[in-house]
Amino acid sequence: MSYLELKEVSKLFGKLGALQDINLQVNKGDIIGIVGPNGSGKTTLINVISGYYRPTQGTVLFDGKKISGKRPDQIAARGIARTFQSNVLFEGASVVESVMVSSYLQYRTRSWQAFFETRAYKDEHEAVVGRVLELLRMLDLFNDTFMPAEGLSHGYQRMLGIAIAMAANPRVLLLDEPTTGMNHEESMFVVENIRKISEQGVTVILIEHNMKVLLNLATRVVVLNFGYKIAEGKPEEVMNNQEVIDAYLGTEIV
Amino acid sequence: MRYIDYKTVLPRTVAGVLVFLIVILPVFTTNVITLSVFISSGIWAIAAMGFTLILRTGQFSLGQAAFMAIGGYTSAIFTVNIGWSFWPSFLLAGIVPGIIALIIGSIVLRVGGTYFSIITLALSEVVRIIAQQWESVTRGTRGLITSPPNPIVINGFEINFYASTVPYFYLMVLLVAITAVVFWQIGRSRIGGTFYSIAANPILAEHQGIPLMKYRVIAFTVAGVFTGFAGSLYAHSLTVITPYMLGLWQSIQIMIMSIVGGIGSLAGGPIIGSIVLYTFGIYLSRVEIYGIQQLLFGGVVVLVLLFLPKGTGLIDLWDRFWRKVIWREEEYEPDTPDD
Amino acid sequence: MPPVGIWIDGLIQSCTYMTMAFGMVLVFSILGILNWAHGQFYMLGAFVFYYAVTAAGIPFPVSLLISGVLVGGLGILVEKFIIERVNIPSAQGALYVTVATIALIFFFEGAASMIFGMQDKGLAMVLPGVLDLGSFSVSYQKIAVVIFTLVIMITMYIVLNHTKVGLAIRAAAQEPDAASLHGINVERLSLLVMGIGCALAAMAGSIMAPVFIINPFIGGIPMIMSLLAIVIGGLGSLTGAIVGGLILGFLNSVVAYHLSYFSEVVLFVLVIIILLVRPQGLFGASRK
Repeated sequence: MSYLELKEVSKLFGKLGALQDINLQVNKGDIIGIVGPNGSGKTTLINVISGYYRPTQGTVLFDGKKISGKRPDQIAARGIARTFQSNVLFEGASVVESVMVSSYLQYRTRSWQAFFETRAYKDEHEAVVGRVLELLRMLDLFNDTFMPAEGLSHGYQRMLGIAIAMAANPRVLLLDEPTTGMNHEESMFVVENIRKISEQGVTVILIEHNMKVLLNLATRVVVLNFGYKIAEGKPEEVMNNQEVIDAYLGTEIV
Repeated sequence: MRYIDYKTVLPRTVAGVLVFLIVILPVFTTNVITLSVFISSGIWAIAAMGFTLILRTGQFSLGQAAFMAIGGYTSAIFTVNIGWSFWPSFLLAGIVPGIIALIIGSIVLRVGGTYFSIITLALSEVVRIIAQQWESVTRGTRGLITSPPNPIVINGFEINFYASTVPYFYLMVLLVAITAVVFWQIGRSRIGGTFYSIAANPILAEHQGIPLMKYRVIAFTVAGVFTGFAGSLYAHSLTVITPYMLGLWQSIQIMIMSIVGGIGSLAGGPIIGSIVLYTFGIYLSRVEIYGIQQLLFGGVVVLVLLFLPKGTGLIDLWDRFWRKVIWREEEYEPDTPDD
Repeated sequence: MPPVGIWIDGLIQSCTYMTMAFGMVLVFSILGILNWAHGQFYMLGAFVFYYAVTAAGIPFPVSLLISGVLVGGLGILVEKFIIERVNIPSAQGALYVTVATIALIFFFEGAASMIFGMQDKGLAMVLPGVLDLGSFSVSYQKIAVVIFTLVIMITMYIVLNHTKVGLAIRAAAQEPDAASLHGINVERLSLLVMGIGCALAAMAGSIMAPVFIINPFIGGIPMIMSLLAIVIGGLGSLTGAIVGGLILGFLNSVVAYHLSYFSEVVLFVLVIIILLVRPQGLFGASRK
């Protein structure tokens, strides 16, 4: 049985179909790349999995349980975290504050324990701080720990986005174009980190335009066009698929 | 590494001395009017702190006076009509508004935002109408005449609420202190961080697994409880509660006290805001021309919003005063939020 | 069944709430903020109308327009010099606009008390007489309210659907960023829309003035009721504002007939129940 499964998922906006009968099976440990022209429904797919949108039809199953129709926070609590396409941040917070408030799910102690600063809470808090700093170190944000998040460069803001998502302790990580707007070096750094995250046992689904990144990284690639899944398979196979080439006609992908 | 930064310590010490002087005010004067000004300011400060706490979750409540009214009427009804003594009624004056906040919050905070502001605003009006029309219980516009708590004797020392205003003053100080400490602790703990995150970016916060509703309702309910206590104290210290004492305009005043005082701090800002604005209001009420109070009040608030740097209230002026006038620092960098 | 008179009163109230709620939602859809002082523009409109009719002796349809233009102009000034300046592009912006427009309630009511005095004023001499329809009669003043509201709604419909300005308003309401990319000056549009919204409130206040009394505090109730109408209809939906206004006006009148004292309380509970069933209001965009 697959880990994360989409069964005939459709999402309509009015009469406009953003996703049409998508079936997708993701196994534990996969790195799935999602490609497609603009407006093909890639972000909608992530929005449906993460609970931001409710699918109009179909179900999303995670670990054998239905998650479609649940709120984003409930889905995040099950272990699915995501990043956003634009640089979505907490206004006014520093890098470390952003990641700390995002670590909500790492706490097992309850609110009243936090209020009274019980021993158990303090111990847990210390452990969380340690993990957050480690995360910042891994994503090369350690030197900017106390920098206001708005002050980071575009590339580092995206890195912070990944750190924020990782702070939710996910088992599945959804990345919406993690390398856009980055130079080659930064992209490669992100790729390296996605691999590291994957090696920690996290299943990764990422939207990516850069085929080189996917060739390097993805175990499987899913191609969307006009909301339909038009191809799925190993990166090399998909790139040579005639339908995929047609869909991309006129763009620089191949 | 810990070191003592005199630039931080000195302003705090001065502020501490000022607070201490207010606390020992009855040593200098037992003038009823002076003490009453501070008692009322303190009561409004508690309500304004409640507003600020709710604001920390990104919601504007325009109905906090309704919770004061519910608290005030609860303890008034239980002492006058049912014959309970003050202290259990006072306790109930926190519980009842808390439950009402919990129920209304659970429904309205699902959408939040402007809907929440409108509903809380309407709540103020609805509570006023109920108080006015439910004559058999609230005596309508005539209001309920409340009685002070019975004298407490501790080791032969008698605290008599009938004989002087001082016991009310200290009850107020105690209530303000407890509210301030509780809210301050909420603000600096992990809960404060969670509040901040759902205000700063609800969508992102929700995707990090934070249940928005739960924390919005917590803030609204906690604020409701303390505001209810304040309302009870208000009704008993003024010896009367009428429908028009705690309506829409008072709700709005609570909000303005919080904003003008400074929303960056959960306790200090609302306290300064309510003392300054309440005193300002008292001086204004001595002016004989009708309408000028409202005109000046509204005008001053608009001017404050237009000409003070954004995000600052009176409490930030205190900070600026030290930096600019005392330390003569050249650059002023606005603080990032303290969460 | 309540008597016909109650239904007519309900219709009159509906007309007020519709016009008020429509103006507020129009402003909201462009500026993204509620003008909490909307009721005070209603009140100021009534006063301008009163003095135009009584002191200057201007015929009442012209006075109605004068009231709309003057108060609409005041609305533009408020937008230009206050709202635009305090509405900073951050999470706090909406808060400052809320506080500023609420402070304006105090300011305008205070100013009106000082300038116009506190005593109730009446305008019963405008359009006196009643239309006798056999079993019941309706005053010409009330008929004027209904006709006026119909004219306003039809005008607004034509403006929004068949003029360039209307198209620009609708485009900016749906996609502010895209609209500004297509050469629509959202800032100027905001001024215009605020002007229209306030003018609508002022004219509603004017046309209601002969039916009711005028004093500096008449704006409060229509404002709260139209806010509730907006909640029922769904924030941001113009259709919702109209339907919400209609529902609330009739309900208020009919419930008040059966339960003279607690009608507002019943309405409030009803609004809460609607929110419980449909958190986004009847016509609001439902959750994605």
